[in-house]
Amino acid sequence: MRLRVALAVSAAMFTIHAASAQEPIRIGSSVGLTGYSAATDRAWRDSLELAAEKLNAAGGLLGRKVEFVFEDNRSEPQEAVVGYRKMIANDKVVAVDSGCVSAGNAAAASSLVRAKVPMILCSILPPRPEEQKWAFSFLPPPRFESETRFRYLRDHTTIRKVGILHDPTPYAMMMRDLGIKVAQEFGIEVVTTESYKQDDADMSVQIGRINSAGAGAIVKMGQGGSTVTAAKNVKQLGLDKMLLMASLDDGVLFTQAGEILGEQFLFVAPGVQIPASIPAGPAREAADEFLNTWRAKFGDRDPNAGARAWDSFSVFARAVKEANSTDGEAVRSAMEKMSGVQGAVAKYNFSPDQHVGITENPFVLGVVRKGKFEVKRSGV
Amino acid sequence: MLDATQILQSLVNGMGVGLIYGLVGIGFCVIYNASGIVNFAQGVFVMLGGMFTHTLLTRLGIPIILAAAIAIPLVAAAGVVVEFLIVRPMWNRGATLFAIILATLATQIMIERITILTLGDQPRTLNEFTAGGPLRIGGLAISYQIFWILGCGALLVGLLWLFFGRTRTGRALRACSQNREAAALLGVPVGRMLMIAFALSAALGAVAGILVTPTQYTAFNVGTPFGVYGFIAAIIGGFGSAGGALAGGILLGIFQALAIVTLGAGFKNVAALSMLLVVLLVFPNGLFAGLKGLLAGRSRSADAR
Repeated sequence: MRLRVALAVSAAMFTIHAASAQEPIRIGSSVGLTGYSAATDRAWRDSLELAAEKLNAAGGLLGRKVEFVFEDNRSEPQEAVVGYRKMIANDKVVAVDSGCVSAGNAAAASSLVRAKVPMILCSILPPRPEEQKWAFSFLPPPRFESETRFRYLRDHTTIRKVGILHDPTPYAMMMRDLGIKVAQEFGIEVVTTESYKQDDADMSVQIGRINSAGAGAIVKMGQGGSTVTAAKNVKQLGLDKMLLMASLDDGVLFTQAGEILGEQFLFVAPGVQIPASIPAGPAREAADEFLNTWRAKFGDRDPNAGARAWDSFSVFARAVKEANSTDGEAVRSAMEKMSGVQGAVAKYNFSPDQHVGITENPFVLGVVRKGKFEVKRSGV
Repeated sequence: MLDATQILQSLVNGMGVGLIYGLVGIGFCVIYNASGIVNFAQGVFVMLGGMFTHTLLTRLGIPIILAAAIAIPLVAAAGVVVEFLIVRPMWNRGATLFAIILATLATQIMIERITILTLGDQPRTLNEFTAGGPLRIGGLAISYQIFWILGCGALLVGLLWLFFGRTRTGRALRACSQNREAAALLGVPVGRMLMIAFALSAALGAVAGILVTPTQYTAFNVGTPFGVYGFIAAIIGGFGSAGGALAGGILLGIFQALAIVTLGAGFKNVAALSMLLVVLLVFPNGLFAGLKGLLAGRSRSADAR
């Protein structure tokens, strides 16, 4: 009888232990599913789900399933803070892999540091050094975008004067200030900077001012449908020589703006957005691995943001395996050792001093021809 | 340094956008007159106009004019659905106007979410109705679409004038705006008028959305700014006056464009709200009612002399 009781208790304990072992690894994600960041962050979310699905089908991470907890911040920092609190306190997430609402990620960074939760981010790093220690950015440094555009102007055109058109987000304004400095390095003069609001129905006043200032190109810094509005306004003002050079964004917008302006519209893109631009080798293989999975589920949906999300999760999963633990400090430390990891977008080189993973410029300058993206190699 | 061409160009563009605000503002007035309700879902009708037209155009391959002609009654039907499912039940149960107005705000959010789920979240655009352009006059460049906006806007104003002045339904709507109880006692079906007001208001929003989409883009969230500026236009014009709302919209559009060209884009909203504040401080019943009162006062004092 005693033996039976002991066996029953042992069996019960084993069952509880097994259930505990099967408890999923919860990862939080604050994403702007509506608002200005919606296009990017929806792709970010969908790609993370896709990556988790694939990993779980292959046995999970450290023998456990991975489960994402998504909180919609509506592209508003205040909403992001509320979502992060919930993910830390209620969902007990071991890490966060969040979208591109930089102000929201920065606002919640101190809480995440206190909870020892590593931050994998689509956005720039939070401002304070103690927060940066726990954060890892998968955003190409903003400088690379400016360099790509100004290098093209210097090497392939006679345009030496540009105007910057930017939205009022902290990221776009930081890009503007950086752009003015980078332009000088390439012998380009920024003759005027104009701002717009993301919901502006018309930007022809700002574009007219850029044209009057003698600029030959508009360097646009800001995401979303405003790129289409700007392209329409350039056309409506009859500025047949003016180039419109857009920031990193979703391909749907590029296609529309390209149909309006043709070769006058240029955009910054990672190789994965124009796969033919990636030479054969490990980079192409990594891009193809992602693209095959992505296209199987989402067809011809633009892969830009999704590819970075895919990379962010792949690097995180590798760090967890390296740490052999989901403990915050162990994962944070392992993330700092993730160097030379080839992803779909770029090669990631994290180190204790380098928390922005992309260290080499992954961008090309794209153009829309017959609805397809191609690399712009020569002048207008 | 500003030149005359820049200012003229901003006036032209401001007028085009302002007319759209005006059409949205008229939509606010039509429902307000019939019921006293401020329909904060007005902006989504602008969005639906562009989205439905684009969907019909791209998925069914229908020519743009036909797609627009189908989209307008579809959006009007959406207006009727809002009235039937949200407003009327609350109205019949004696809900306060504040509660109904709040419900229209919730309706806007709901329609935006439904749009994301059914039509997607990506921005899209329409080609200009007339290819080519712009028309150049000196240094000015005027897009052909501006002529469409101005022409259709003028046509709509004429049609609305005929509708409110010459048709029984239009007169019944005007009767409701003056005194709903008295209109009901005289046999005007106030409930049906409310439904017609929502349909008309939604159709106006749809026309505005179809006209403006070729100059920018449309997406699930474009309705909010149009709703806000249309509301301001209606207040400037004297809430309830269709002509006032239209004029208020044009003034607002021009004022915003001038603010951008002289002070910068950051001052666009400051300009709109400052204009609203000044108008309300000087003429609490709206610019045009105030000016009318001022002129009447002067003529009375001239007669007295």
